[in-house]
Amino acid sequence: MSAVTPSAFGKRERAALLDPILTNNPIGVQVLGICSALAVTTRIDKALVMGAGVILVTMLANLAVSLVRNHTPGSIRIIVQLSIIASLVIVFDQILKATLYELSLELSVFVGLIITNCIVMGRAEGYAMQNPPLASLMDGLGNGLGYALVLFLVALLRELFGAGKVFGFVVLPLAKNGGWYVPNGLMLLAPSGLLIIAGLIWLLRTLKPELQEKD
Amino acid sequence: MSRLDSPRYTFVFAAVMCVVCAALVSVAAVSLAPRQKANARLYMEKNVLVAAGLVKPGQDVSLADVERVFQADITVRLVDFATGRLLPADGANARDYDQRAARADPAASREAPANDAGIKRIASKGIVYFVKKGGQVDQVVISVEGLGMWGTIYGFLALDKDAVTVRGITYYDHRETPGLGGEIGNPAWQAMWKGRKGYDDRGNARITVIKGQAGAPETDPLSVDGLSGATITSNAVTRLMRFWLSESGYGRFLTRFREKKEVL
Amino acid sequence: MKALETLLARAAPHFEPGGKLARFHAIFEATDTFLMTPPSVTRGASHVRDAIDLKRMMTIVVIAMLPCVFMAMYNTGLQANLALDPIKLATLAGWRHDIMRWLGFGYDARSLAQCLFHGSLYFLPLYAVTLAVGGFWEVLFAVVRRHEINEGFLVTSMIFPLTLPATAPLWQAALGITFGVVVAKEVFGGTGMNFLNPALAGRAFMFFAYPADISGDTVWVAMYGVNAVDGFSGATLLAKMRSFTEPFNDAAADMSWATAFLGFEPGSMGETSALACLIGAAILIVTRVGSWRIMAGVAIGTVAMALLFNAIGSKTNHWFAMPFWWHMVLGGWAFGTAFMATDPVTAPFTDKGRWIYGIGIGALIVTIRVLNPAYPESVFLVILFMNVMSPLIDYGLVRGNIQRRKRRVQA
Repeated sequence: MSAVTPSAFGKRERAALLDPILTNNPIGVQVLGICSALAVTTRIDKALVMGAGVILVTMLANLAVSLVRNHTPGSIRIIVQLSIIASLVIVFDQILKATLYELSLELSVFVGLIITNCIVMGRAEGYAMQNPPLASLMDGLGNGLGYALVLFLVALLRELFGAGKVFGFVVLPLAKNGGWYVPNGLMLLAPSGLLIIAGLIWLLRTLKPELQEKD
Repeated sequence: MSRLDSPRYTFVFAAVMCVVCAALVSVAAVSLAPRQKANARLYMEKNVLVAAGLVKPGQDVSLADVERVFQADITVRLVDFATGRLLPADGANARDYDQRAARADPAASREAPANDAGIKRIASKGIVYFVKKGGQVDQVVISVEGLGMWGTIYGFLALDKDAVTVRGITYYDHRETPGLGGEIGNPAWQAMWKGRKGYDDRGNARITVIKGQAGAPETDPLSVDGLSGATITSNAVTRLMRFWLSESGYGRFLTRFREKKEVL
Repeated sequence: MKALETLLARAAPHFEPGGKLARFHAIFEATDTFLMTPPSVTRGASHVRDAIDLKRMMTIVVIAMLPCVFMAMYNTGLQANLALDPIKLATLAGWRHDIMRWLGFGYDARSLAQCLFHGSLYFLPLYAVTLAVGGFWEVLFAVVRRHEINEGFLVTSMIFPLTLPATAPLWQAALGITFGVVVAKEVFGGTGMNFLNPALAGRAFMFFAYPADISGDTVWVAMYGVNAVDGFSGATLLAKMRSFTEPFNDAAADMSWATAFLGFEPGSMGETSALACLIGAAILIVTRVGSWRIMAGVAIGTVAMALLFNAIGSKTNHWFAMPFWWHMVLGGWAFGTAFMATDPVTAPFTDKGRWIYGIGIGALIVTIRVLNPAYPESVFLVILFMNVMSPLIDYGLVRGNIQRRKRRVQA
């Protein structure tokens, strides 16, 4: 036996948790999982609930996949991962419908679509299959947080400029309600999510030139 | 290689996984189902209260609040669209009636009469909420729906006890363009419906979302301010309102109610 | 002239690499080449994917647009003067009316000068804002990225205000051109690298961001409700079509075809006059600056699609009956065909590709007008869509060519 104790929170676990939040952000750097980022970011509360869903699902899916990784037959490992992820997503969706019903109506199919979110599947196959449970849990948490962070930023900009609000509170009083701000309707349409994410990636790459591909 | 790749182990492993996942999902679904159902009904009933002006739009109301108002002041009944008669109150609880689900059920719905509101099928029975004040019926709330620009618009219309004057409306589910047609969800615009008349003096459903601004409800009762830049949505709202007020929708019932032939 | 030349020549070394003002080389270069003949000019047909690889080309496009600019100012003033209630003239408030009164201009719809001047008070501010804001971004990116300021912007900045309604707020125009220049062009590496027409992208931004100020029925005529003559309607014919109760004909249009062709109707400033666009198109074709294949393609696509819809017919959708000669004079058809579809950067590069591109634009314009009631003014969206398609068209054609030649060699 080597000296490494697999369950302790060490360097690897910290890296697994922190790397994906900024330096290797799943949306900003790997450009994964942006489909849902377009659909649920018109309001911050929607984005946060969606972010919470992805954090929970990636975390628990990573943990579960990692726990059974040494017992999973290679030939059916993708199906096993998918069943675990799908089950977790359904459970989360059910809980949402039982607790935050109106938000679940607005998020509609997009909660269910977490199943197809490339980040979840990618972390399960790419990380949890090779790493011990605690590190996998941290990796899932980190990636979920990285995703949620970007969603939050996009939603912050979209809600602020599209509706003049932050968390539902009026920040820029709208002209039609007697204020001065004319809301930007583009911010309420899905393409603006893409534009803002593109802007964030541009900013990130300008700040960290090592991310740019050599051409 | 090892035992991991033997067909037998693979099958056993897959079976165990299936059972575990299925158990997880079933437990969640079954244990949460009652709360979900209560939530779905709460959502609809909250919007009924919004239309009736008993709850402000966006106000946070709990299940208990809604339950209290419904127990004290609201009677829910079903109406047969074909005859315009109220169905007997006995049997299934009217509050649990899901008109949207009924429309999709061939046994509980029929083909809609020719209309310009984009309605293909309607449920055979419609839900009616009687809002009482001091024990007397004060408002009648009916459910409306119709095709907008990008999808179906769902809402509630609250009428005064004269079954003509609009007390309030709400559109709680729609897909209209944000900022243009989407303004039908704006409480400020919905408030403009108050005091308008659903029918003209001869009993025809004539309420119209016009282009531009309408006059005061007293002088211009059949018009509602148009949504600027959203002609299609405005027309859609006119058509769906007229449909449900006409004999194809709640018209027969509302006439009988006005003539005191239908009483609680 | 000589003195200026000496001054520029003396200043030049400071802006060369290594000079103390090297960072601002772009600004120097732009001033220098704008005033003097550039030291190096492209000879013969250029094969660079570039909007305006010769300064002369750019100048010709701007000249070709002048009839549209003239009509934009005249018609804006005319429509406004027609709509204003003469009894309420004294109550008009705002800086435009202060200027009009101060200079002693009236609001007579029959006077060319009075209409032209009134209209110019709407067009020129929008144009100035576009030039200033768009120019700022051009210079900023040129300086930061150390590339030259491209004259193509003069075309972009002229097209952009012409596509706007006269009442477009100036701050929205500033945001629109910012989006067009930064997101549609500079992000992709500047002029020549963009796959979307910057002016159109800016217009699309405004259309989706501030729909109430750029579409609908109240924005097309430069006047405000309270002062309008009774019974006046400012909606464009395309928007009015929605409420038609009978198939399209001249009587239902409430306007003669000639009026629409000449452009005395409400609409975006530069697009109303098909005649002005036709003059511009002729200039572009004769000077070979604009591709006649694209323009002919758009016309063919429009005629074919309109005839098809005429043949199918519809009892409920009265758009089906609109003849192609009406399609060609309404909305942005003529302006889009002459000046926007022909933008060489965003159109296909192959001749065959230009035919496909043009026909696609024409057919799609008619299809969307007829079948999608949400976007009656669809020309700019269609051209943007085909902009995106054009690299694919070129790619397909070039691959097809390679395959054919391969087979020929093998045979």
